[in-house]
Amino acid sequence: MTRLFLTTLLIVALSPAFTGAAQAADGEALFGFYCAQCHGTGGEGDGPNVTGDFPVDPRNFTETAEMEKISDADIRNVIIDGGPIADKSPMMPPWGKTLTNAEVEALVGYLRQLCNCTGKTS
Amino acid sequence: MKTGVSVFPALVLLVMTSSLARADAAAGQAVFESNGCQSCHYTQGPATEKTIADQLAKKGPELWYAGSKFQRPWLETWLVDPQPIRPMKFNSVMEPNPGGHAVLSADQVGPVADYLMSLRSDIVQDGAVKVKKKNLKGKLIFIKKMPCSGCHQFPTKKKFSGGLSGPSLIGAGKRLNPDWVLAYLREPKVFKPVKMMPVFVGVLSDKDMKNVAAHVATFK
Repeated sequence: MTRLFLTTLLIVALSPAFTGAAQAADGEALFGFYCAQCHGTGGEGDGPNVTGDFPVDPRNFTETAEMEKISDADIRNVIIDGGPIADKSPMMPPWGKTLTNAEVEALVGYLRQLCNCTGKTS
Repeated sequence: MKTGVSVFPALVLLVMTSSLARADAAAGQAVFESNGCQSCHYTQGPATEKTIADQLAKKGPELWYAGSKFQRPWLETWLVDPQPIRPMKFNSVMEPNPGGHAVLSADQVGPVADYLMSLRSDIVQDGAVKVKKKNLKGKLIFIKKMPCSGCHQFPTKKKFSGGLSGPSLIGAGKRLNPDWVLAYLREPKVFKPVKMMPVFVGVLSDKDMKNVAAHVATFK
């Protein structure tokens, strides 16, 4: 009985629906807390920091065609090391010392939800 | 014998001064609590926030290290005429700060400042940052190399510039203790375990952090 319960639990935990939902929930919360400052709560690149003085346009994650051009690895690298790793602006900070690997992955997943795209395979 | 006679009054004076300071801090704590300040600001460290939800549950900035963070003259002025420091509402990235912080009366300010200045963090090293009129290395990091200006307003020749999600650094030279700024850059999670600002440990060298703290200290 215990074995059956554990097996069921494992199947549910590993199912795409379950992991996807958990990742989306975390990713959304992380995005709202860390990324929305510049990228906006809807991910359209219009956060409160984007005043007339802001030197660049933060990426609009809802632009599917643009987001299709970059891979998950590209996104991951920029989150961890900041804009300069991809020859982009240092206004995109390096979050690698702030976020855990799981949090970075949750954010990558959430950005893919925002763009409704999968991106190029690296 | 002569030395003993002169040392004794000095010791008595020292003990009395110390006792008076404690008494004022205690009186200030009483005012702080009777005004309900602790309902938004916690004053007992260390920080306990572990998750984003913990941080978002807070109603105002923690003050358990206020005496290490702020400069007393600024604190006294602010308590009677509190103006928003962060352009956005606390913990929000979309709602502007409406202001309206509670105001203390002139007779409450001294004791409350005594109390807040008595709240200190051991990791802030006095004199760690050497403040000069200019710190060009710190300025370069603040404006060009790192994204500090993206989130923090700062003074410029024109007037001011910078983003809105972080606390404004206009007037930071009078508001913040540069040694606290350095300690915060070195060990941010001691003060704010969960915060919107990235951790720069391992990104900036200790020397860079000192330069940034010294540059922030020049902000008028």
